[in-house]
Amino acid sequence: MQLEYCLLLAAALFCIGIYGLITSRNAVRVLMSIELLLNSVNLNLMGFSNFLDPTGIKGQVFTIFVITVAAAEAAVGLAIVLAIYRNRETIDMEQFNMLKW
Amino acid sequence: MFETFSQSIWLVPLYALTGAVLALPWSPGIIRQTGPRPSGYINAIMTLMAFLHSLLALPATLNHPPQYISFNWLHVVDLNISFDIEVSSVNIGALLLITGLNLAAQIFAIGYMEMDWGWARFYSLLALFEGGMCALALCNSLFFSYVILEILTLGTYLLIGLWFNQSLVVTGARDAFLTKRIGDLILLMGVVALLPIAGTWNYTELAEWARTATISPTTATLLCLALIAGPLGKCAQFPLHLWLDEAMEGPMPATILRNTVVVSTGAWVLIKLQPVFALSSVATNVMIWIGAVTAVGAAAIAIAQIDLKRCLSYVVSAYMGLVFIAVGTGQTQTALTLLFTYAIAMSVLVMSVGNIIWNNITQDITQYGGLWSRRPITGICFLVGAASLVAFPPMGCFWVLTEMADNLFQNYPWSIGVLLLVNGLTAFGVTREFCAIFGGKPKQMTVRSFEAFWPLTLPMTIVMGFALHVPLLLKQWNLLPAWEDLNLTVASFLVISTVVGGATAAYIYLGDRIAKPVQFKPKALQDFFAYDLYTAKLYKLTIVFFVGLISQIVSWFDRFIVDGIVNLVGIATVFSGQSLKYNVSGQTQFYFLSIFLGVVFLVIAIGWPILSQVSLVFGAN
Repeated sequence: MQLEYCLLLAAALFCIGIYGLITSRNAVRVLMSIELLLNSVNLNLMGFSNFLDPTGIKGQVFTIFVITVAAAEAAVGLAIVLAIYRNRETIDMEQFNMLKW
Repeated sequence: MFETFSQSIWLVPLYALTGAVLALPWSPGIIRQTGPRPSGYINAIMTLMAFLHSLLALPATLNHPPQYISFNWLHVVDLNISFDIEVSSVNIGALLLITGLNLAAQIFAIGYMEMDWGWARFYSLLALFEGGMCALALCNSLFFSYVILEILTLGTYLLIGLWFNQSLVVTGARDAFLTKRIGDLILLMGVVALLPIAGTWNYTELAEWARTATISPTTATLLCLALIAGPLGKCAQFPLHLWLDEAMEGPMPATILRNTVVVSTGAWVLIKLQPVFALSSVATNVMIWIGAVTAVGAAAIAIAQIDLKRCLSYVVSAYMGLVFIAVGTGQTQTALTLLFTYAIAMSVLVMSVGNIIWNNITQDITQYGGLWSRRPITGICFLVGAASLVAFPPMGCFWVLTEMADNLFQNYPWSIGVLLLVNGLTAFGVTREFCAIFGGKPKQMTVRSFEAFWPLTLPMTIVMGFALHVPLLLKQWNLLPAWEDLNLTVASFLVISTVVGGATAAYIYLGDRIAKPVQFKPKALQDFFAYDLYTAKLYKLTIVFFVGLISQIVSWFDRFIVDGIVNLVGIATVFSGQSLKYNVSGQTQFYFLSIFLGVVFLVIAIGWPILSQVSLVFGAN
């Protein structure tokens, strides 16, 4: 078990999250992809916290905060998706292009 | 008393210029009620004053050395341009000739322009010409001669274009302006190039400088050729001669002046510059050749014309060619005398032709005939003018042509042939014109023709009387060769050529043996001369074509390439704006992608040095 593997896993998770964020057509899946991104960040923070700062564990405190904010953000995000759905009867991301050129 | 007049001789051009200004209020748009006639009277009086002033100044200059007056015109840094005036008997004589012929032409115009409203413009321009020519005759500075020549070029444009509602007048005025302007501009190159070399524009000082000057032959040749080009255009020499033909579209009284004195302005400058031309043998040879070719060519063209005025206009070119030959061979005195005798003879000829045209309407020589019995005065005047023009023994030009031929005999024997040929052809030409107008039977256009009223006839007869007195005047001024110095061989040859030319023309046009209109055997040759060697076509196919083509190319280049490049910048900007706006796709995810890619590139760009070390770290593991 090494820090590098931990970081590479987090990076891979981040990449998957970005991929999902950009290619998903379902707004909920976009929110889920954002959760993946945040989780990959959490993995990074935990990894650094464990391997580089085992006594201070500041990374763990940050992780707690990130999880908190992620929950709040998911709540707001889902509320927004719900609001859009009520207006437009769809959550297809490609339909939300009213601001194009 | 005479001294006072010769001291104030510089007033002479100002009389005419005053007349030019005073004539203008009678333009139809300003004084609307009383008609334009006072403008003509004012100018005739002004010209008379100028004439009398010159006449009174003459005794003070005879047998006196020339006097010089100088006005400072411009002084900047180390350049002094002064208006130099020379007061000598030759200059005063030129003034008398100019003002005298102007007076005759202006009185002639009072009759000729009877049915015309444009007196103010016409007389104003005539006066401008008179002032310009008087100033040129007095002027002793090459620079101001050039200035005056240019003003006269503009005057020619306006005077030929007097009746501008006729399309041929407009094209004629255009050609006269451009052709003379080209010559003048090349003259300007010569004038500008002369100052650093010679250090002066004063003719007297130029002559002194030329006597001892040592400049490279190439420089001298180029300089002299440029200086020839101005008079070349002014004197209607080949190849810049078409304008004089087209200038015959202008009013008749102006033609009197143009054919006699205006074309002589170029010759005057040429004579003044003769010491400079002597620096380059190439230039003098060119001058002689141009003169010879023009003289023979124009004399031949003149006999193929059917227009009364054009018959004479080519004789003008031919005689100016003779002046070129005289100046080229260094005979300035002969050239000046020739200008004098020629101007008198030609003015009588043009006035009598104008007299004929005034009440016979047509200018077509084939429509004329049988006027001798009813137009005796005009006929006699024509005869005297013709006799004065060619080598006809007691008359003026005979002495000059003999003297010229005598001088040519030693150095340029071949040019005597030119002289004989030109004399013979001119004799043929004027006799042909005389026989066609006055001989034969009356034709439809000439059945009812009366002698014109006094303003047309009076100046004609007075100048004719003067032409008859020219030999006596020449004798008085010691310009006639002594009888024992007279080269009888060349004199008799000249007379023979005159007689042969005149007799041939009389035989052809007075007899019935040859069918009229005369058909020359190769019709093409006759047309070749009748159409002025197709000069108009030649211009159109060479200079006009190339200048037109280049103008069109430059215009096209400007419109499409220069403008196009600037417009392309604008179009490219508009196009990029129009196409780049599609980046704002409206897709939130696309914005995410953009942000992500931007961050990635920024991180790579900023962190490249660190990242490359990271790879080293990984490699070490």
